Amino acid sequence: MPVSIMKSNRSGLRLATIALPALLFVVLSILSPAFLSVQNLSNINGQIAALLIVSLGQLVVALIGGIDLSVGAVLSLTTTIIVSVSPDFALPAALLAGIAIGLVNGIGVTVAGVHPLIMTMASMTFLQGLALLIHPVPGGTVPDYLAGLAWTSAAGVPAAFFWCVAAVTIASFLLSMTRFGLRLFAIGANQASAARNGIAVRWYSVSCYVICSVAATIAGIFISARVSSGDATVGAPFALDSITAIAMGGVQLAGGTGSVAGVVLGTITLGLLTNGMNLVGISPFLRTAATGLLLLVAISMQRRTVIGV
Amino acid sequence: MARLLLSVPIAYAGTAVLLAFAYVARPALVSPVLLLLIVRQAAPLAIAVLGQSLCMRVLSLDLSIGGVILAVSYILTSGILRLPEPLLLLICVLFGAAVGAVNAFFITRIKASSVIVTLATALILSGVVFSLSQLRAPGEAPAILRYIGQTRIGIVPISPLFWLAIFLPVALFLRMSVFGRYVDAIGANPRAALISGIPYVRIVTIAHILSSILAVFSGFVLVGFVGAGSLDIGRDLPLTSLVAVILGGVTFGSGKGGSLGPAVAAFMLTFSFNLLTSLGVGEPGKLMLQGAIIALAATRRSPD
Repeated sequence: MPVSIMKSNRSGLRLATIALPALLFVVLSILSPAFLSVQNLSNINGQIAALLIVSLGQLVVALIGGIDLSVGAVLSLTTTIIVSVSPDFALPAALLAGIAIGLVNGIGVTVAGVHPLIMTMASMTFLQGLALLIHPVPGGTVPDYLAGLAWTSAAGVPAAFFWCVAAVTIASFLLSMTRFGLRLFAIGANQASAARNGIAVRWYSVSCYVICSVAATIAGIFISARVSSGDATVGAPFALDSITAIAMGGVQLAGGTGSVAGVVLGTITLGLLTNGMNLVGISPFLRTAATGLLLLVAISMQRRTVIGV
Repeated sequence: MARLLLSVPIAYAGTAVLLAFAYVARPALVSPVLLLLIVRQAAPLAIAVLGQSLCMRVLSLDLSIGGVILAVSYILTSGILRLPEPLLLLICVLFGAAVGAVNAFFITRIKASSVIVTLATALILSGVVFSLSQLRAPGEAPAILRYIGQTRIGIVPISPLFWLAIFLPVALFLRMSVFGRYVDAIGANPRAALISGIPYVRIVTIAHILSSILAVFSGFVLVGFVGAGSLDIGRDLPLTSLVAVILGGVTFGSGKGGSLGPAVAAFMLTFSFNLLTSLGVGEPGKLMLQGAIIALAATRRSPD
């Protein structure tokens, strides 16, 4: 028993985390014959790829007890940069912006001591304004090489799938195979102890915010390639959706608990929910309500021992 | 002395600076009539902020404010319940209390994160209201609320008076009562508060129920001010109220902060939106300035 508690404590994976998407999958394949078609499954994959990438970034920040509300605005900003900068510099410019935003968020939180919610909300507001300033009306043209990255398929498998696999591989490697990843769990579990054991907490925290912003930037590159245009508000839902996804995946916002597998499951749950309601013909607005309900169900099945933000 | 000055909420200095700037750059904006109109515009935010600040003082957060206001607007204006107006208002208050109780239940009993719980209730409320409004669109606001939201006595609008009538008892209660002391104790150190036998669960529950009821009142003023229900109503309030609380000197997790600071911050934010509009700053510029201001304001008083 103690062993299993230890295990579940670190990854946050519980029965509910796995049972929810599995249940949805079974119910949907019974309710709608179109659900299991290859076309539909690859649709779902395409729809959740960006959210998965953003959520993995969110996971990295959540592990150290932080939160990043600015991911949606970063994503929007990225799409506007992609269509506004000359094609040769589009990618480097977007990535540089992502790194810079992450640095500002991280320094604001660690050095200036601003609460992560407030800091990232401030940058969210600022970046939303910046994105609207750069590219007020949706549109523009995306460099050709990008469109290929999102739409080609290899051996019948769509490109979105490879984006997902790459993101999951990188995140898993980072979190479970490197010292960096291990130390994130240590910081999240107890920041003071981690610092006393010689971990440069500030440096790690700033890196987490940078990783998160860069993840959002990559998701933004994917989205702009997929819809072949820039849109200053396209990312707006991603902030709350990514938090919902990681919460469903058993990640604790207090830090120290979470896993890549959980985030993948949480994202799939959200994706199945959206797709399923479309197929069954339920109002998309009820999808929002259903997300909220599922979120409450998910957290009820993952009772914590301490009260906290 | 410097320490004392630093402990004054930034909202006071910010308001003074903004007013002085407006006095030079846009004198019309600081005329009594316009100032009172801005105060009226700030009233819904100021009421919501009171609840948010209470939650934040017990180290919790309420992101469901927007959802509650949306639901209130729908209950009052869609005609889905054909009841006399006073009864409708009462139903809204009870509804708010119920939402607060649900939030509190998940936060204190399930020990879930307040961000996630209140986010979930907000999603549920807005999802249900949006899908219901496809069947029955929101309509005109009840007469009592339009009176509160739009009428003036002399040049004084009623809605700030309505705010004052809510603010004074709540602020005095927090300042004078044992409950208020408990709130501060939990804010300063929840673990110590718990160990010394402070009824943690009860205090947090009351804070959330109060916050949701205050959101309902905020919705009353907002619906009355707009004159009709809408699906856009109160969308920015959860995050703006959070900002106002921070600017108002309530620091997350130090047990410091009163009730007046956040109210002043609510006015400051509303005034700054108006000032930026009158200076001809467009939407992008406004957002960028807001973001920069929030970050700077929160930075200055960092404890460590």
